[in-house]
Amino acid sequence: MYGGGNTFEGIKPDALAGEDPIKLAEFEAKIDRGEKIEPTDWMPQLYRKQLIRMIEQHGHSEIIGALPEGTWITRAPGFKRKMSLMAKVQDEVGHAQLLYSAAETLGKSREQMIDDLINGKSKYSNIFNYPTFTWADCCFISWLVDAGAIVNQLANAKGSYGPYCRALDRICAEESFHLKYGHHCVIYLAAGTLKQRQMFQEALNRWWPPMMHFFGPSDKISVHTEVLMKWKVKMGSNDDMRNQFLDMYVPKIKELGFTIPDPKLKKNTDTGRWEYTEPDWEEFKRVINGDGPCNKERLEVRRIAEERGKWVREALRAPKAQYVTPLA
Amino acid sequence: MTLFTSMNSLDPRVNRLPIDKVANSSPKAALDQFGTFEVFVQAKEGKPFQHEGIVHAPNIEMAYVLAKETFTRRFTCISIYVTDTRSVHVSAMTEGTNNAYENINDSGASEPKTSYEIYHLLKRGKQHIHVGSVTAGSPDEAMWRAKASLAGEKQVFNIWAIRTDDIRFTTTEDKDLWLTLPEKKFRDASDYKGGDKLKAFLESVNK
Ligand SMILES: [Fe+2]
Ligand SMILES: [Fe+2]
Ligand SMILES: [Fe+2]
Repeated sequence: MYGGGNTFEGIKPDALAGEDPIKLAEFEAKIDRGEKIEPTDWMPQLYRKQLIRMIEQHGHSEIIGALPEGTWITRAPGFKRKMSLMAKVQDEVGHAQLLYSAAETLGKSREQMIDDLINGKSKYSNIFNYPTFTWADCCFISWLVDAGAIVNQLANAKGSYGPYCRALDRICAEESFHLKYGHHCVIYLAAGTLKQRQMFQEALNRWWPPMMHFFGPSDKISVHTEVLMKWKVKMGSNDDMRNQFLDMYVPKIKELGFTIPDPKLKKNTDTGRWEYTEPDWEEFKRVINGDGPCNKERLEVRRIAEERGKWVREALRAPKAQYVTPLA
Repeated sequence: MTLFTSMNSLDPRVNRLPIDKVANSSPKAALDQFGTFEVFVQAKEGKPFQHEGIVHAPNIEMAYVLAKETFTRRFTCISIYVTDTRSVHVSAMTEGTNNAYENINDSGASEPKTSYEIYHLLKRGKQHIHVGSVTAGSPDEAMWRAKASLAGEKQVFNIWAIRTDDIRFTTTEDKDLWLTLPEKKFRDASDYKGGDKLKAFLESVNK
């Protein structure tokens, strides 16, 4: 759930109508006890559907998220940065492989997931619909977008679906490198020339609004997802995740002498919650529905890559191949 | 912020893509992404192989290559192997205090005998671990024989049996990738120590 709250649709009141109440009670008791659900276990249709949706979108976000950073590999300043960025981008694509596999255990084929991404039916994290103008934008993603993703991913790793949790444990271990690398890049810009500092400040100004969108619409306007919280599919409210991110990273951004472009941003010491200018949720909706600066580019790049690789895949396909659902 | 209404990318390579010339061929054909292979990794000498996940591949050799890239490009291990998902014979999954071996009964012996690798799931939520091998004429017989020789004291929630001949093992030459891993520090969080730079910077600002 790189992308946060938009992953979930409102749950219809009759969503559980067809489920066997005894099996449902056993399923919920298992989750309450902190046990994981495995692919061959009984699960309600709604659980399966929402998990496929969430894990698949997470996978798409890794694949699409590799693009705004990947475009900077050839222009990263110096050999060391190029090596690091290449390793990071490779990790992100690898994360997508792990996540698609986890979603596949729930019964959606990889072919179908890729089709749905390219045809615009499945979403991915909205933040990757914005362009990386300078090297500093790329550093913003490496450090802070990844930081946001880690907040989500660490929470989700405690969820109830076994294969997703195991994929996330691997992913989180690699994310620690991304975060350190990203912070390293930004420290060097901060401690650099006036021009370098300016570059990062401008990137921060550009990326702050989409970063605030990252965790999804505010709880006040979000759909109700209590049952998904109970089933440990959704592990925290959008505002809780956003608050946790601000707690951890606002001090680190300020420490480097940068100004966060929101005059209202401050922590309310009574409530322990951050206060900020309400993010523009209309823009968020508009961009996630296709009308952002890079939506078309991101999907076209993926589509062309798929189409261009098609003849290779066809040539390699074994005549006796037959699909079965992977195990775990 | 500039809004791009058409493909007007900041990256010239993207602008050069022949979007109009490449037709969209979705829906993808069945098996466009190939079948799946199960991947097992041995972290250290003396430790058992553990199931790690899957890769999609056109054949077992490619599966092996992709498994190395996906699961061992960073974490050191000493061996890895892969098998077609269809080669894994799976017992029923159990819960609570039910042992998976309780459901394994004598289905009769058959010939010819061959070697099978046996895996146990000892904790729900964790992964299958290799426990040993047996000689049997069928996967069912293999599980029955494992019940006698490998079941052990611990509760087993799920059993897998794989014919040893269906596994693509690591050869000595295959280990090249791991030999160079310790040099690839740039993949490691510990290679990004910004603390001194940060401290110097903060001191210079506070002066
Ligand atoms: Fe990632
Ligand atoms: Fe990322
Ligand atoms: Fe990352």
